[in-house]
Amino acid sequence: MTLEVAGFWVLSLLLVGSALGVVLTKNLFHSVLWLALALTGTAGVFLMLDAEFLAGVQILLYAGGVVTVVVFAIVVTERLVGTRLAHTSRRVLIGGGVAALFLGIMLNSLSRIVLPTSRVPMESDPTRLIGTAVMTRFILPFELLAVLLLVSLLAASYLARPEE
Amino acid sequence: MGLYAYLSLAAVVFSIGLFGVMTRRNTVGILLGIELMLNAVNINLVAFSRFHGEVTGMVLTVFAICITVAEVALGLSIVILLFRTRRTAMADHVDWLKG
Amino acid sequence: MDSPLDPLVLAVVLAPVSAFMLLALVAPLRRSGRPAAVVSILGAATAFVSAVLVWRGLDAPLQRVWTWLPDANGALASVGFLADEQSSVMLLLVTLVSLLVQIYSLGYLSDEPAPGIGRYYAYQSLFAFSMLGLVVAPNLVQLFVCWELVGLCSYLLIGFWYRKPSAARAAVKAFWTTKAGDVGLLIGIVLLWRHTGTFDFAELRQLVDGGLVGIDGLALITFCIYLGAAGKSAQFPLHVWLPDAMEGPTPVSALIHAATMVTAGVYLLVRMAFLFALTPDVLLLVAWVGAGTALMAAMLACAQNDIKRVLAYSTVSQLGYMMTAIGAGFASAGFFHLLTHGVFKALLFLGAGAVIHAVGTNDITRMGGLARRMPQTMVVFLVGTLSLAGLPLFGGFLSKEEVLAAVWDGGMTGPFVFLLVAAFLTAFYMFRVVFLAFFGPETSRESEHGGGHAPHDAPWSMSLPLWALALASMAIGVYFTFHHPETAFEAPGWLAPLATGVASGGVVLAWLTFQRKMISAEALAQATGPLRTAAARGFWVDEAFVAVYRGMLMALARIVGWIDRYIVDGVLNVVSAWTVSGGDGLRGIQTGKVQDYVLALAAGVVAVMWWLRGAM
Repeated sequence: MTLEVAGFWVLSLLLVGSALGVVLTKNLFHSVLWLALALTGTAGVFLMLDAEFLAGVQILLYAGGVVTVVVFAIVVTERLVGTRLAHTSRRVLIGGGVAALFLGIMLNSLSRIVLPTSRVPMESDPTRLIGTAVMTRFILPFELLAVLLLVSLLAASYLARPEE
Repeated sequence: MGLYAYLSLAAVVFSIGLFGVMTRRNTVGILLGIELMLNAVNINLVAFSRFHGEVTGMVLTVFAICITVAEVALGLSIVILLFRTRRTAMADHVDWLKG
Repeated sequence: MDSPLDPLVLAVVLAPVSAFMLLALVAPLRRSGRPAAVVSILGAATAFVSAVLVWRGLDAPLQRVWTWLPDANGALASVGFLADEQSSVMLLLVTLVSLLVQIYSLGYLSDEPAPGIGRYYAYQSLFAFSMLGLVVAPNLVQLFVCWELVGLCSYLLIGFWYRKPSAARAAVKAFWTTKAGDVGLLIGIVLLWRHTGTFDFAELRQLVDGGLVGIDGLALITFCIYLGAAGKSAQFPLHVWLPDAMEGPTPVSALIHAATMVTAGVYLLVRMAFLFALTPDVLLLVAWVGAGTALMAAMLACAQNDIKRVLAYSTVSQLGYMMTAIGAGFASAGFFHLLTHGVFKALLFLGAGAVIHAVGTNDITRMGGLARRMPQTMVVFLVGTLSLAGLPLFGGFLSKEEVLAAVWDGGMTGPFVFLLVAAFLTAFYMFRVVFLAFFGPETSRESEHGGGHAPHDAPWSMSLPLWALALASMAIGVYFTFHHPETAFEAPGWLAPLATGVASGGVVLAWLTFQRKMISAEALAQATGPLRTAAARGFWVDEAFVAVYRGMLMALARIVGWIDRYIVDGVLNVVSAWTVSGGDGLRGIQTGKVQDYVLALAAGVVAVMWWLRGAM
């Protein structure tokens, strides 16, 4: 067992375990923390795929930004109500069945197609490539993304504005 | 480890996220499930990108992460708004469309 | 093909329609009354003069057609005229009677308000145009259009006094009854077109002469056409409208319901005689129905006290004569009787109109002794009566004898006997009218008309047409008594004396009963017993119609009602109940919860993936 395989399994266990924690725990706050762990695990998977830049983005934006915002939202709403938010599940069996069926068909389909087992070498450093692509080929979506972020910023602050 | 392993991992995470969306009562919990599903998609994109030596998938992942951030911000503001008007964070209680 | 007569034939048809257009479109003229009448009479006079010229000048059949509905090969339908021996004589009759009736109406309707007179003359002109168009029609399409137009005019004129409920009812009844026949005619025309591919009389005749018309199915076609003719010409059982049509003004009855329109059916059969000759079964039916109608109507006429209804039933009876002759295969005899009958029946109606105008009632039992008061009217009415009775030297003598000869020669003994009895009854009921109305004691009649001034002869505008028709009737009678026309059939030598004898017998019986009172009218009524009762009620034909219609309509309504209630409504109710309960059951799916929708979505994706798994 090479180091790569061992790393993959460890990361996989971490990721799947923390994901299960997100959907199963009864405490909303714990749930968010499990999510932060899952996102960090995802960043590890990115690292294994030679995408250091994406791993950084993942940790900074997701694990840092998103989780902070969610926690912030939870605290704000709990302050508004004055009680802890209930965090229970419903229809676990039916939901689990459908999700399991989905997974089964998905894995079954994956096992029946031929997928590459070795990696094609990148032309150069992936980070450099991403930067070049974003500034050349994907410049228009990139600019539009900026507009989108601005709009969602305004929309979010409008929706969550204090009551008159 | 081949591409199959990464895709399988992504499928598992996606299914777990789906399960969360379907079963959580709390709106924030549903949002977390959606985050998991998006992560699984990102893993897929990066894995394909890397195994084909083609950078486009990674660029799309950058975009996806940014859009996810916007989505989370909006989703949470909707949760707060809902809370203010309906005094609940439970998606279960938001059933005006019940037949 | 151009002929100097072309414009004249056109003038005959177009003069009345020009008058109609003028009256219809220029409202002030129509409302002015008498000037409107003058316009209409001028149109009729132009038509009459042109008709005389056409009749005198015609030596060969003249046909002109213009395309109306174009078709890939030639014209599907065309309009035009066909002036031949039959139609030119008919034109003469129609224009003559039309002109005289319009002049007569000036006097008869003098009490009407001016707009009413204008309306009346507009209808009259339209009728003249329609009838003339029917007469000259070179094909069945134009004939049918004009046929319906005269039906419309008949409706309008019967209902001229539309404020009178009985007149309005009679108009509707006439319209519907003839319409029942017209449907048959329309079907017949269409079937004939499918059968032969042409509407044109001349072409049809060529086809028939060339033996190119298949006999299969032809009987149905001729029967359908006969149905139309039976409706228009008041053959049993479609005769019920004609007596009721007497609700219209008397000149209208004279023109439309005696001399012209009702003969359209006979005229149609005369026109199509060559076709009917191929279907002897239908001809036999025509003859028997005609003879039965003649006899039945004659019996009915004996039981009527309304002078106009007597004349109306007499018209039905005479139409039966014509039909019988056609049925016997000798259309020319029927046509001849049509022409003479047109003259003297118009005369009788106008005479009756003069009497009614003078005494203000239709009831012959309340007339009496009018001979002294109205000598002129008495004379002309007597001329008409003698013509109708078929006595020598008078208009109807020869034509009636010809009809009888034709029927005898056609080998139809049964109808012949019917007609002979009808001839006896004709003489009887007409002289009953004469003796009751003009002779006998004067009955008191102060109140009905004009505050008690004594009845007197009509003004010149009414007496002039009367005399003209009387003279024409006499002229025809005298001329034909001495000049037997060439006929295709042999009249047996004993026929003329027999017919004269029968008619005289009727006259004598009427004289003995109603003049000399040697035979009591009551005793006579007693002797005929139930038959008379039945006749007084019109043999219950109307009642039978009502019963049949009511029965059929009620049955149909019940069936339709049942279907509507249980099948149409039932289907709707079941479907709506299903919809409601289905919605009720399905509304549980809509929980309104986002998670359930996602669940359903995921399940759907799973199902699609399961379905597609083979393709992956």
